[in-house]
Amino acid sequence: MVLLAALAAAATAVYATDFAVIVHNTNPTKAMPLAELGKIFRGKTSAWPNGRGITLIVRDPNSPAMKFIIEKVLGGSVDEGKAALNDPGRVKSGASVSFVSSDQDVVKGVESTPGAIGIVDVYNITSGVKVIKIDDKQPFDPGYVLKGRLQ
Amino acid sequence: MRNISLKRIFRIGFLAVALVVVAAAAPGAQQSKKSGQPAAKPATTKSVHAEAKPDTVPVTTSSKEARHEYELGMLHREDLLFDEEGLNDFRRAVKADPNFALGHATIAFFSDDPREEKREILLAKQTLAHAVPDEKLLIRFMIGTRDGDLIPAISAMNDLRASYPKDSRLGNMYAEWLLAVQLNYDRAEEVLQSVLKADPNYYPSLNNLAYCYSLSGDYSKTASLMQQYVSQLPGQPNPQDSYGELLRMAGDFKDSIEHYRQALFIAPSFTTSQLGIASNYAFMGDQERARVEYLQAISMTKERTTKLQYRMLWAMTYFRAGQQEQARKAYGDLALLAHKEDLAVDEAECYRTMALFNPSPEGALKDLDKAQGVLSQKHELPRADRESELAIILQTRAFIGARAGMSDVADKALALLAPMAAKSRSNVIQAAYHSTNGAVLLVQGKYAEAVPEFQENPRDPLSLQLLADAQSKVGLTTDSAKTLATLAAINDERVETAAVAQPVRDALKRNNPASTQANTPE
Repeated sequence: MVLLAALAAAATAVYATDFAVIVHNTNPTKAMPLAELGKIFRGKTSAWPNGRGITLIVRDPNSPAMKFIIEKVLGGSVDEGKAALNDPGRVKSGASVSFVSSDQDVVKGVESTPGAIGIVDVYNITSGVKVIKIDDKQPFDPGYVLKGRLQ
Repeated sequence: MRNISLKRIFRIGFLAVALVVVAAAAPGAQQSKKSGQPAAKPATTKSVHAEAKPDTVPVTTSSKEARHEYELGMLHREDLLFDEEGLNDFRRAVKADPNFALGHATIAFFSDDPREEKREILLAKQTLAHAVPDEKLLIRFMIGTRDGDLIPAISAMNDLRASYPKDSRLGNMYAEWLLAVQLNYDRAEEVLQSVLKADPNYYPSLNNLAYCYSLSGDYSKTASLMQQYVSQLPGQPNPQDSYGELLRMAGDFKDSIEHYRQALFIAPSFTTSQLGIASNYAFMGDQERARVEYLQAISMTKERTTKLQYRMLWAMTYFRAGQQEQARKAYGDLALLAHKEDLAVDEAECYRTMALFNPSPEGALKDLDKAQGVLSQKHELPRADRESELAIILQTRAFIGARAGMSDVADKALALLAPMAAKSRSNVIQAAYHSTNGAVLLVQGKYAEAVPEFQENPRDPLSLQLLADAQSKVGLTTDSAKTLATLAAINDERVETAAVAQPVRDALKRNNPASTQANTPE
């Protein structure tokens, strides 16, 4: 195989996937606007409507997937997002964030924490968590906002 | 992935027929693998024993015969890639136990026959109560992936994988779906690596991983995997067949033929190898020889849908040779045959093929009118298949409109496709929509906006052709050249490839003979 295939590889090395927002199975929330998810990321919203505290469980903000998510959810730069997620003031407000190393750990964390919310590659979901709609759409729906194309 | 997967991938990619592989327990298959001496020909019913294994997904049937046939089918279809034999085994299984839900689901997902598929999905749902919970998860995965209900399907599969970490076939099946249907090569690779980590010699995953790398464009890792696969199954045809297909994908047609011949030497009835030889000759430009080889492949298959698809490839040799009149007559005859057989998608595809090779845009649009007309008639056809085919026809219409500068044609195609895309989760319909929208933007002169739309459909020759045009117009000349190289490097049996990629390949070869693929004769 020579030049053409090599160029083909270079031109098609893109990974596309949808990211699922997941909550505990007992959480009655079925849908959420993207703006509300942004508030959770920023620590502005720290409790569910029933009063239970929210724990945000996400992967390392430096991972390609999280960079995409931060940009989509917070609408700003990755650095701004990291700053928001690491803001010490969140602890006071009760908006806790837990960083884990894999999607599987995000799923496990959400499955075992009733107030948790997390974001994972949709191909990593299990029946132990519930996928909620964002802006009235779920992964694979046309126009779903958390559809990413990662290099 | 299996040797036939690519053929199926591209059919799937354009007809929305999900390639879903069932991977329940098949102890017989694993025994065969461990023995290191699998049969060169399809195993007989005496050669495989039906013993349940606790580390694989259960298979529930009240009939010993049904279980036996099912597991034999898995051996043939999944492990050794004797497709028709495997399908016939599954059919015998449900005949022995009509309440065998997983058996019905398996047929539905393996069959290319829309009538059979629809009937068996219904039967799988009707008999679901006879399956045990984990088996139901597998059926949910299969049905969900077909119905577009992907979230419960993926959840079910991940639950199963967690419960049965040693079920290599299960992981392999998931990876194959990710690869063939979702085109998610990274994720498929991840799953395959996990299967091979636990079971380094699990040969179906070696095969799939090689396809995974090749489809990602990384041919450098393919050879060692294929050699490992061949050494695992020296008496089987599929490793040679896969090797042949991967070499063909890489443009090494002559060596590809050699591997296909070795597969046929091992198993003279291995039809896909005969087809592979025919297609290699077609790609090399020897259409007369290709026709002879295609006729041989046609005579070797019994499945009516497969036979028709092979006939369409045979007919395409006339288009490849520039013999418009003969080609149109051949496709016209095949359209009539498909109509008689009530194979509406194939009938529509005949007319769409004629359109893609029609030198007159106006004539091509008339061909596409016929294709759309077929779908508007009453047929026993799953809705998803009908909608996917319609989406592809509309995309083709927009492509022809864009190339001819007929903005109204592209606009009308988009107007019909947009409402479908707004409601559909089908990746085929979504990809067709983006490409059609790109065509509309291109013909409007909005080149920069058109580029990302075409990039949504990165392995589709029609989209790549228009993407290169858009990139060129917007001044991205290096990107445009890369896109054309990507297009020229596609070596598969899709009509789009024959219609669009081959001329680009020929042009690149004329302009820079040293940069084109190896072993392609002048």
